Amino acid sequence: MESKIVDHLFRHHYGKMVAILTRYFGLAHIETIEDAVQDTFIKATLQWRKQLPDNPEAWLNKVAKNRTIDLLRSIKSQKVRSEKLLKDNSSEELNDLFLDHEIEDSQLRMIFVACHPSLKPQQQIAFALKTISGFSTREIAAALLTKEDTIAKRLRRAKQTIIKNQLQFDFPPPNDVEDRLARVMHVVYLTFNEGFHSTNKDKLIREDLCGEAIRLCKLLLKKEKFRSGSLYALFALLCFHASRLESKTDINGEIVDMLKQDRSQWFFPLIQMGNSAMNKAMEFDEVSIYHYEAAIAAEHIKAKTFKNTNWNKILLYYKKLQDLQPNTFTLLNIAIVELQLNNFEVVRQILDSLEASDLEQRAYLYYGCYSEYYERRGDLVLAISFLDQAILNTTNALEKRYLEKKKVILQNRI
Amino acid sequence: MKDFMMIFIGADYQELGLSPEELQSRMAKWFAWGQKMEAQGILKGGEALIPTVKRIVGQDRTVSDGPFADSKEIIGGYYTVSAKNADAVVAIAQDYPDYDLGGTVEIREVMVFDR
Repeated sequence: MESKIVDHLFRHHYGKMVAILTRYFGLAHIETIEDAVQDTFIKATLQWRKQLPDNPEAWLNKVAKNRTIDLLRSIKSQKVRSEKLLKDNSSEELNDLFLDHEIEDSQLRMIFVACHPSLKPQQQIAFALKTISGFSTREIAAALLTKEDTIAKRLRRAKQTIIKNQLQFDFPPPNDVEDRLARVMHVVYLTFNEGFHSTNKDKLIREDLCGEAIRLCKLLLKKEKFRSGSLYALFALLCFHASRLESKTDINGEIVDMLKQDRSQWFFPLIQMGNSAMNKAMEFDEVSIYHYEAAIAAEHIKAKTFKNTNWNKILLYYKKLQDLQPNTFTLLNIAIVELQLNNFEVVRQILDSLEASDLEQRAYLYYGCYSEYYERRGDLVLAISFLDQAILNTTNALEKRYLEKKKVILQNRI
Repeated sequence: MKDFMMIFIGADYQELGLSPEELQSRMAKWFAWGQKMEAQGILKGGEALIPTVKRIVGQDRTVSDGPFADSKEIIGGYYTVSAKNADAVVAIAQDYPDYDLGGTVEIREVMVFDR
């Protein structure tokens, strides 16, 4: 028998059910609701062993709803709006919320709650991944390369803040929309970056993070009131990057750099989607960091080979990006591009002005850039010694192997 | 052919805090295993058990409620299968999905009473 269960059904349905039930019972009960939804999946894993229900999603909705009501009743909390609990379990009102457009609406509300300014940025990502994307504490820890305890603490604090400040499960007031949307986009952007740039060994986790970011971005774009140039630009950026996700690693899971990536493997439908989003973005009278980042990603994709890359154009976009939002990492990127253009003086100036410690986890890229600088200038000994620094400064096994391979190549040239 | 019971001990999903994604993949494995035994016509029955435990012990019939100290020893369910001998059931039990979670399968032959 073919399985009626689609991939990721549980994970995607987790976020949907939590959002719907929260909308009905109130944000104050989010913890109970999450427990109820978790219980529902455990029940499903036991009951569905023998036979799958005809309509798995309806089964889950019903069980989760009843479980929430049971748990809330047993808590007998004063805060519970008892009139709702007294109603028949099959109440029309709650069932209506399980309609598709209502689910989307509830999930969007949850995104805005996750990005409420009273939550710290790190709590926002953890909370969004848990509540909207259905990741477990352990999965979030693995995705963000953080300890499980730390994530558990962030989630706990986020929920405490929500309850203490009595946040409502609603969209922000009109005056706050722009600011809150900027935070939402930032969380989507970071979620994607964690997947795309992360040195996480687990390919599935990386793909899941990127997929979730794209899904959330799409969800936002569905609502006319949230559409903006920067949201379209962000979506374009995610599409362009995601089109290269497959070719970033080879079949053995080893890193493949831009120079050696098989460009025919880049996923064309995503590139097309990115292009049309970019065109939409241009219809708005606004410029954001996402515009420039998307433009850079688009330039890389346009180039038929690494050699054909239009580095001058990319350099221009990086400079505009740096003007808009000065950032050490952008500066390092400028140095890397200048290096491609053989502007050695400028590269040297930028690198000397940077501190490795400012780049935190990405310090190895700084040493890597120094190494390539010396390699291009013909000083292989210094190039190797900076490569050693780069190797020392990465904790990731994949990056380490990549750099060590490079080192062997340089050593053989001496 | 004889009847055997495969008793599943430990690996309580609730306690392990598995994610929805992990739960779905466990469920799929259990389902596939059940279908496979069904197709071979060896599956006689079985149930999954809810982890809440009540124990009655001793002369005084003292009743106590779980959870008890060691949840690793909680029986999560069982299947009854028909097979030639215990070794054949060991082969069947290779597909049990939860060894990696510390789960155990205990194989016991069902006693046949003489008429």
